[in-house]
This record gives sequence, C-alpha cells and structure tokens, in this order.
Amino acid sequence: MASHEAVTLGLHETESMWAGGRSPFAVGSKKLGMWLFIVSDAITFSALLIAYSFVRVASPSWPRPFESASIANATVMTLILLTSSITVVMAVRQAKLGNRSAVAGWLAATMLGGILFDVLHLREWVGLIEEGVRLFKNPWGTPQFGAAFFTLTGLHMTHVTVGVVYLGVIAIGTKRGKYTAEDVEVSGLYWHFVDLVWMFIFPLVYLMSAKFA
Amino acid sequence: MHATVEHPAEHVEPKRIFLIVWGFLLALTGVEVLLAYQSLEIKVMLVLLMTLSIVKASLIIAYFMHLRYERRSLALVLMPAMVFVIAMLFVVFPDSLRLLWMSTQ
Amino acid sequence: MEAHAVATHAHAAPTGFIRKYIFSLDHKVIGKQYYFLALFSVVVGILLSVLMRWHLVWPDARIPLLDKLSPTGAPGGIMTPEYYLSLLTMHGTLMVFFVLTTAPQSGFGNFLLPIQIGAEDMAFPRLNMLSFWVTFAGLVVLLSSFFVGDGPPLSGWTAYTPLSAVGSVAGPGEGTGQTLWVISIALFCVGSLLGALNFITTTLDLRTRGLTLMRLPLTCWAWFITAVLALLSFAVLFAAGVLLLLDRVGGTSFFVPAGLVVSDQRIAHSGGSPLLWQHLFWFFGHPEVYIAILPGMGITSHVLSTFSRKPIFGYRAMVYAMMAIGFLGFMVWGHHMFVSGMSPYVGFAFSVFTMAIGVPSAIKTFNWLGTLWGGKLRLNTAMLFAIGFVSLFVSGGLSGLFLAQPPVDTNLHATYFVVGHFHLVMGVAAIFGMFAGTFFWFPKMFGRMMNETLGKIHFWITFVGVYCIFMPMHFLGLEGNIRRYSRFTDVNFLVPLIPLHKFMTIAAFVTAGAQFIFLFNLFWSMFKGEKATENPWEATSLEWTVPSPPPFDNFAGRHPVVYRGPYEFSVPGAPKDYVMQDAPEPVAAH
Ligand code: HEM
Ligand SMILES: [Cu+2]
Repeated sequence: MASHEAVTLGLHETESMWAGGRSPFAVGSKKLGMWLFIVSDAITFSALLIAYSFVRVASPSWPRPFESASIANATVMTLILLTSSITVVMAVRQAKLGNRSAVAGWLAATMLGGILFDVLHLREWVGLIEEGVRLFKNPWGTPQFGAAFFTLTGLHMTHVTVGVVYLGVIAIGTKRGKYTAEDVEVSGLYWHFVDLVWMFIFPLVYLMSAKFA
Repeated sequence: MHATVEHPAEHVEPKRIFLIVWGFLLALTGVEVLLAYQSLEIKVMLVLLMTLSIVKASLIIAYFMHLRYERRSLALVLMPAMVFVIAMLFVVFPDSLRLLWMSTQ
Repeated sequence: MEAHAVATHAHAAPTGFIRKYIFSLDHKVIGKQYYFLALFSVVVGILLSVLMRWHLVWPDARIPLLDKLSPTGAPGGIMTPEYYLSLLTMHGTLMVFFVLTTAPQSGFGNFLLPIQIGAEDMAFPRLNMLSFWVTFAGLVVLLSSFFVGDGPPLSGWTAYTPLSAVGSVAGPGEGTGQTLWVISIALFCVGSLLGALNFITTTLDLRTRGLTLMRLPLTCWAWFITAVLALLSFAVLFAAGVLLLLDRVGGTSFFVPAGLVVSDQRIAHSGGSPLLWQHLFWFFGHPEVYIAILPGMGITSHVLSTFSRKPIFGYRAMVYAMMAIGFLGFMVWGHHMFVSGMSPYVGFAFSVFTMAIGVPSAIKTFNWLGTLWGGKLRLNTAMLFAIGFVSLFVSGGLSGLFLAQPPVDTNLHATYFVVGHFHLVMGVAAIFGMFAGTFFWFPKMFGRMMNETLGKIHFWITFVGVYCIFMPMHFLGLEGNIRRYSRFTDVNFLVPLIPLHKFMTIAAFVTAGAQFIFLFNLFWSMFKGEKATENPWEATSLEWTVPSPPPFDNFAGRHPVVYRGPYEFSVPGAPKDYVMQDAPEPVAAH
C-alpha cells in the first residue's frame, strides 16, 4: 500500500519518513520542540561556561577555596540530582503503562529531589556570602571568582526551580487526566537536561576549585 | 495540530538498564571527586574531568533522555549542530591565553 | 517548557476582537502582527537616519521638534555628539533586530510557512503568540529609553564593552538607557528562540503528504535554515546579555578590563576582557546578518522563478548553498574583529573562511541570473524588487571580499566603507526582499491587489536612491572618512568630501520621502485595491490553491496532497504554463 501511494505521489522512495504527512522522527511535535529548546539552552550554558573559562584562563591566579566539606556537599547534591533523574524515568515509565497516580508519585519524588538540591545549594550560597564572597569580590583574590560562581550556579538553580514548578504542573495535570504520557516524557527531558548541565558545572566550578589539604 | 506519536503502545524499556546507567553515573562522579584531589597538572586534570563529564552527559542523553531508542535521524539532526556550535566557541581561547601571557610579561 | 501548554488547536475560529486580533493564535494574524511591528520600527528607524544625515551635513541647523524630544540631547534643536550616537544606536538596533530579523522571518514566515507546507497552523500556536508578545515587549522597552533617564544608549547596535558595561560615567544614556537596551535584547532573544523552535518543528513535522524536503518552496527552506541559525546563535547572545547585565547592575566585571579610567574616574571593578564581549556578540552577530538576508533570498528565488515563468535554476544547488552559508556563517565572526587585538593567527583563519562564503553566495547569484536568462519576464513590481535584491546583494557583497582581508580591513574597518558594505548587502537588500514579498503576497494576505503604477514609481525612486546614498560611502571610506562621528564639517581633510556628503543626505531625504508612496499604496490597497483572485500571479505553491485571504484553518479541513516541486513553469505538454504543486495528473514523460 505504501509503495502504491509513493507512486501516485510521484515519489521514488517506496516509503520515506521524510515525504510529509508525519513526523520524520516518529516522535510527537512537543518532544521535538523540547529537544530543540534543550539544544539552544545547552548552547547558552556552554557560552557561559566558556566565558567563565576565558576569564579564568586569562587570570594569573584563581582561588581554590572549596574545603572538603563543600566538595562533599556538592557531591551529595550531584547524587540527589542523579537520583531524581531515576525517579523521573520511573514517572515516564508509569505514564507509558498508564498508571496515573504512580506518575504523580514519582514526579513528586523528583520534585522533592529538586527542592533538596536547591536547599543544599542555597545553604552553600549563604555560607559563601557570609564569608564575604560577592559578585565583585571575595576574600581570596581574583574578583571574577564570585562573579562566575554565582552566575553559573544561579542560572542553574533557576533552571532547577523552574523544573520543580513545571513537574508540579505536570504531576497535578496528569493525575486529573489532562496530560498524556507524552507530556510527562517531555517534562522528563527537561529535567534530565538540568541534571546534564550540572554534570559540567560540578567539575568546572567545584572540583577545579577544590582546596588541597 | 501536532504530529502525534505513531505507535501508542510503545515498548517500555526494562528498569534494569536505567539502574545500571545510574550506577555508572554515580561511580563516575566518585572517580571525578577522587581525581580532584590528585596533584595533577591543571591541564591534565581539566581534560580528564571533561572527558568523564562528556561520558556522563552522553549516558544521560542516550538512556535517560531516550535518544538511543529514537530513530537515528533525530540524534543526527540534533547532536552535530549542537556539538559544532559549542566546538566553534572554543575559538575564543587563543585570546584568553594571550591575555594571560600579556599580564604575566 | 511552554510546550506542554498546547494541547489542541481550537478548531472553531475565535469570535471576540481580542482573541481574533490581539491575542490571536492564528499564524496568519501573528504574521501580520510581526509585519506591522516591523513596519512601525522601520518608520522610526528611517526617521532617525534622516535626522542623522541632516545633522552630518548641516551641523548647526536647528532640527524642529528635536529639542522637544530631548531638551538635553538637542538643546535648541542642535544635537550633541552624544545624542547623535544615541540616535545611531537606536537606528541600528531597531533596524537589525526589529526590522530585518522580524519581518522577513517572523512576519512572512509565520503567515506563509504553514500554508506553503499544507498545514493548518504552526506546530505550537500558543508559543507563537508568546513569541510575538515577548518581541513586542522588547520593542517597548527599547523605545522607552527615549523617554527615561538621559536618553538612549550610545554604544551602537553592537554595544561594545567597556563603554556599555561601566554605567553612566561613560556618558548620557549609558545609565538607564543601556540597561533598557540589554533587557530589550534579552527579551528579543527569548522571542526569537521560541519562534525558531516553532519554525523548525513546523517545517519538519507538519509538511503535508507528498511534500518531501526537496519539494519545499525555497522560501520554506530559507525560513527553516534561518530558524536553525536563530536557534543556535541567539542562545549565545542571550548568554552575553546576561553577563553584560550583571556587569552593569551586579558589579561583576566580565567585560571590564583592569585599571580602566573613564571620564577621569577609575572604574572600581576590573579584571575582565572587552574582547570576550566582542567574541560572544559577533558569534551571534555574523549568523545574525544571514538571519536577516536568507529569508530575502528565499523570497527572491520564489518571485524570480514565478515571473520568469521558468523553473528555478539549480534548485538543489540553491538549497545546498543556503546550508553552506549557514554552516560557514558560524566560522567567520572574527572578521568583525580584525583590529580588536584578537590573535592574528585566528584572524587568518577567519579571513579564509570569510572568503569561502563568497562561493555559495556566488552560486546563488549565478542561479538567479540563470533563472532570469531566457525567461518570459513579467516585470511587475514584485519582480522588480526581486531583481533589485540581486543587484544590491552583489554590489554590497563584493566589498565584503575586500573587508575579509585583515591588511585591507585594518584601514577600512572604522570608515564609511563598512557602512556602505553592510547597508547595501544587508540593510537595503533585505528590505528589497520585504518589498518583493509585500507586493507578491499582499493579495493573499489582504485579499486585494496593490497598485502597480505606484509600486513601480516607488521602486525606481528607491532603487536609484539607495545607490546614491550607499555607493558613495565606499569612496568616503577609501578617503579615510571615519564612521560613528557626528561632525565632519570642521575636519580639514574631510572638507573636500562635504559636497558628496550633501548629495547623500539629499538622496536620503528623497528616498525616505518616497516611502510614503509605499505606505499610501499599502494602506489604500488594503481597503480600496482591486479584489484579488485565488491565484493572481499564476504561481504554483500551495498558498495559491486557497482563497485570498485564506480561511481560518487555511485549507478548510482539506488535507492537500503534493505531487511535484514548486517551480514547474513552462512544462512542455502541460495545458498552462504552470503546474500547481497539488496537481496530480502526470504531465511529461520522465
Ligand atoms: C561574501 C560575502 C561577505 C563578506 C566576504 C563579508 C565580509 C565582511 C567583513 C570582513 C566585515 C567587517 C568589516 C569591518 O568591520 O571592518 C563585514 C561587515 C559587515 N557585514 Fe559583511 N560580508 C559579506 C556578506 C554580508 C552579508 C550577506 C551581510 C548581511 C546580510 C553582511 C552584513 C555585514 C554587516 C552588518 C557588517 C558590519 C557590522 C558593523 O560593524 O556594525 N555582510 N562584512
Ligand atoms: Cu560578518
């Protein structure tokens, strides 16, 4: 049948994904849209990380102030974020299986992870601010340190917070039957991306500034 | 209005694979933290950490974000564009090295 | 994130005025909204340029009403050098962002892309509406800088740091005005990114049956590639904008160098690099110039083929050339920075890649000429503007090859030569693309025809006029006439050039005046023009298979099927000299 249609359409390919009338990737438009958003946002984060590296490379010295307690804290945050990716995977799985309330549960667990991450991170921020770190100065020299730190982690934290709200909307909507498995999956994509960005911020901002004993 | 998913009865991947990936990610994170405390030259450290991070990111994209299970064309449309643009951004670095060189002269 | 908000498209047309014309989800209304936003911006932008040209040659003349707009910027109607720069900045920003990036892509693209691919709307109508209103907010924020603080910023459309980063010590407008500028641009980035992902998804997912990629009209290809460029490059500008904003309001110094003294004041925060801003800005800035021109290229190809009654010459070559331009466009940004102190080794690479862009550009040009060659030309207004586009693109593009060479550019960079180059190749060429598009699709957009006589008068004055304004700039540049200065009449070595400047200013007045003919034609035809038929130009793409203007969901529930490419003109054996894309009967033996 496919080949018959291809002939009447004047196509040479017997059955092409690209011949119109369907998604060439066999995914929903929302998913493609989210992927494109992620590509774009990944470039924004890359540009920021590269700006940070540019400034750092150009500076004769760069502080390495993070005590092992800070590194431990950031490592725990990483574990939380990675784990929240697993819970969101579970949510997507349950959505595909059609268990609406299980979806809401797993999403709630994910949100909890996000909130915990934010809390730990803010605690860290407050600690640094109390030590005198600002956007334009810090006790250890090179003023760009604070600028880069707060800019990168701040934008990431904003993404986490937006993600928590987004997942909340999806969780409630799914429970009420408003959203489909596709919506859950799309929100999951966003969440994984936030996780992914952290995989670069963590080593570049924290580990590369760890203080040796 | 949208193109919709064509086969509603999607196959659901076994839980196990995600847990394995998760385990890998945790382990790699551990390796990174250990690395941070080795007295390596900063360039070497940077390369090692970034390599590990790229591996982690790839795992997340391939498994958690499901790209491995989509049609190959999706990955081929998205990934080269992103990687190309990010790679081009690296062209700024000769200038920051030169600034460093100038300020230490 | 917004993606989830779009569950279904309302299948019934909205009835209330607000849902229909203000917060509309219909791509056709949103396209027109963008078009009129750009039209408004271009009127303001032209006005500013006329004021600048006026001041340049008669620096002591009192310009009426200008002191009302800004008593401090133009005391007694004579603008200060700083205010000149403010007008320059606003002119550039309005034109590049809110005109050239807005009308050809978001305006025409929104209106036509879904119809040309046989869809009833964009993939994400709600996101589409959001993009427009975010862009609109960006415009309002930008224009508000005229009225608050001490006026608009003076750092140019490129907002070079540290001038743009250090705040009000750097001059009037560098306080509130520059902050508003950054916010406006950040909003614009968001609007463009949302628009871009919508365009890409729509083109990939919503093509109707039989519409393979290689059967897309070249307009759709152009909008698609432009959207890809926008998605990838505005992301970087957004990052740069965030950093600049933090430098301004947060006290960081990403872009402020050590030991900087401005207006006798030592700037406290230090240690950053102005070069970093230039890199990030131009990383976006060069793709941006192609974002401005590619849709015009698409429109030109479409119109040339239609009115030459010939298939476009080298369809595939056109597509691949656009892809090559887009790809190389990310590898050449450094040609704007040859004199910035950038590493000369990198500069060499940038120079080579820049010249390489000449190849796909030339391919396109020759294909346009090949399309015209031997065609049964219908020289109506749309066609004239399309041919004008080719002419301007060539005239302006050739000077780019001179500028691509660092030793030459070192002398020309800060002169009018560059101004001549980019106005011809980007500014006016893209605007000619818009004019061509307007005359071509007006019947579809408004259901009436524009007046051809007025159109041709407008074309000829504009065509001759822009050459008179911008061609001499190359000679000025070669004579060393520096750019971004408000007063040349007192500079000895420039005095002999003042008559040429006067000629350009008069040409600018005449050309700007001639635009009233267009505005009159546009609005008069909207209400009084001759009623348009479904396919007045005997064109082939899908938008000409639906009524003018098209119904709410474009195809009235029908799903068109496409059997052939978009440029089947003068096919041997066909009953008419064109074959519609959705015509099923086999026409010629293969
Ligand atoms: C073969 C094609 C082209 C080449 C080789 C070329 C080369 C260049 C070079 C080397 C410069 C830097 C001059 C300087 O600042 O000293 C420049 C500036 C510029 N070009 Fe082109 N160009 C080409 C086509 C285009 C096109 C197609 C556009 C727009 C549609 C464009 C828009 C601009 C703009 C806006 C500037 C100046 C921006 C500013 O300084 O404010 N160019 N071009
Ligand atoms: Cu350029």
